[in-house]
Amino acid sequence: MELPQTAAKSAPPALTSRAGSRKTGQLRNGGLRWALLGPALVVILVTVVYPLASSLITSFRDWRLIYSPTPGAFVGAANYARALTDAGFLNSLRVSGEYMLMSVSLTLLFGLGIALILSKPTPLNIFTRALLIFPFAVAPVLKGYSWRFMLNPDYGVYAKMIGTVIPPLKGYIWLGHEFSALLSIVMSEVWGWAPLFALMFIGALGSIPSETTEAAKVDGATSTQIFFRITLPLLAPVIYIVALLKIISAFKMFDQVAIMTGGGPGDSTQTLYFYVYQVAFRNLDMGYASAVSYILVAIMGLLAFLYVRVLLRDH
Amino acid sequence: MTTLDTLPTSTPKRVPLRRRLEDGAGTLATLAVIFFVMFPLVWMVLTAFKTEVDAFSTKVFFQPTLDNFRAIFSEPTSLGSHIWISALVACLTVAITVPLGAAAAYVLARHRFRGRESLSLIILITQFIPAVVVAIPFFTLFRSAGLIDTPIALVIIYLSFTLPYAIWMLRGFFDALPVEVEEASFIDGCNELQTLRLVTFPLVMPGILVSAVFAFISAWNEYFFALILTRQNSLTLPIAIQSISGPRGPEWQQLAAAGLIVMVPIMVMSLFIRKYFVEGITVGAVK
Repeated sequence: MELPQTAAKSAPPALTSRAGSRKTGQLRNGGLRWALLGPALVVILVTVVYPLASSLITSFRDWRLIYSPTPGAFVGAANYARALTDAGFLNSLRVSGEYMLMSVSLTLLFGLGIALILSKPTPLNIFTRALLIFPFAVAPVLKGYSWRFMLNPDYGVYAKMIGTVIPPLKGYIWLGHEFSALLSIVMSEVWGWAPLFALMFIGALGSIPSETTEAAKVDGATSTQIFFRITLPLLAPVIYIVALLKIISAFKMFDQVAIMTGGGPGDSTQTLYFYVYQVAFRNLDMGYASAVSYILVAIMGLLAFLYVRVLLRDH
Repeated sequence: MTTLDTLPTSTPKRVPLRRRLEDGAGTLATLAVIFFVMFPLVWMVLTAFKTEVDAFSTKVFFQPTLDNFRAIFSEPTSLGSHIWISALVACLTVAITVPLGAAAAYVLARHRFRGRESLSLIILITQFIPAVVVAIPFFTLFRSAGLIDTPIALVIIYLSFTLPYAIWMLRGFFDALPVEVEEASFIDGCNELQTLRLVTFPLVMPGILVSAVFAFISAWNEYFFALILTRQNSLTLPIAIQSISGPRGPEWQQLAAAGLIVMVPIMVMSLFIRKYFVEGITVGAVK
């Protein structure tokens, strides 16, 4: 029963490295402290705290930038009440939820698959591991453009490959149908994130002592049993962190929606983020946009709470 | 395995065959991974060197051309000026983020004072604030201040996510540094500032470099704020490449060429900090 502990300890390397809380020297200078900390705090105050507070106030006002450059009257919680009956908002909430479920599960699945394939340290696998950081470094805009290009039914290379393997899908307009458009955006994200997740999983897999699996093999365990009884439980802490990261990033999906579908067809890929963008910067309805964005803040706050709890538990 | 092979009761031939099959399957699977990871990138690189006719086919072999690069650097796209704006914005962001972040991270890691942990936690939590919430007040503020479409506006807003991120990441690097090193320097008679300059900062140089690269990447690749806050004079690369389209939609071959220019510096940088890449993401790349 000491195995799960080793896994939890060795899980994400960055988190454990911060754990040290040793006694520091007594020469620390109080004046210098604020001189060093001050500038950063001022910048954070201006760039984070000010907009947060300002948005909160605006969310209780009626302020359409088209009519007036100055904020309008306070309307209480009217903007929030409006969100509850706004079909566009409710739709974006549903789209974001669906998108989150699809992208999280597929990214985990692909990431785990890649990690297992590359877990053996052969020269080819080690070379391939080095390639895994590339997709994440690609600007989201470029992810969007390249997938849109490759999925074009007339000249897209992915669309042609799929059409050759599955003839009924020949000429299928991937970004023109509700479900497949969302799936296409999901895939562009899976491509970006799964290799990165695989890197994290490979790190965790490496910390599983090979004696454990060897012993299980000797005892007659099949590889399926080894995977579900040993590998997966030992990976659980990493999977947890990584899934949370992906859930958070899923609620921030904007770039590929803007590039690949513009929210369409219809409003089928209108994520929460994209919806707020439209209300704020197309309709210039700042009061309502602030309210909707604060609902997003509430969702993120909940996720942040979970993330911090996981993080602190590891300390 | 080897002991089993030498045993007279086992069938010596079947075991190696099975292993060979497994190895073969493993190699195939690895090749599939390489395909999945690299294909969109390779395709973009190929497209960048294709003529328009070739770009709209799925040819793998073609006569390469540099016309697309020529095209994007001349009118009407003239990507050159946008590269400078992107570089300026990213470098300014790094230049402010790194010193401020390093100083704050040092204090949070080494000084013990009331509220230290809460302050660190608040800084972590700022990573979760969605960009739209920040965008709305700054859009109205910059609009009335006449800062829309200036690099300054972008730098200010980029600091909202690069600085907290850098602080949180650098704190990890300072925490990992044994405090005895600094104490030895105090005993030798250095004061805190001298110790910082001569001992601590040089030792966390890798961390400082990593945070600089991360700040650069996030500013260079940023799309959402740049879309809202720029019009024509300070378009960064991710926005500028949107204008690469002809009468029949995007000119993919030129777009791919421009994409390479956006991509290559970031790829090179991430190779340099490969060792820290994954950690960096876990620490705070919620963005």
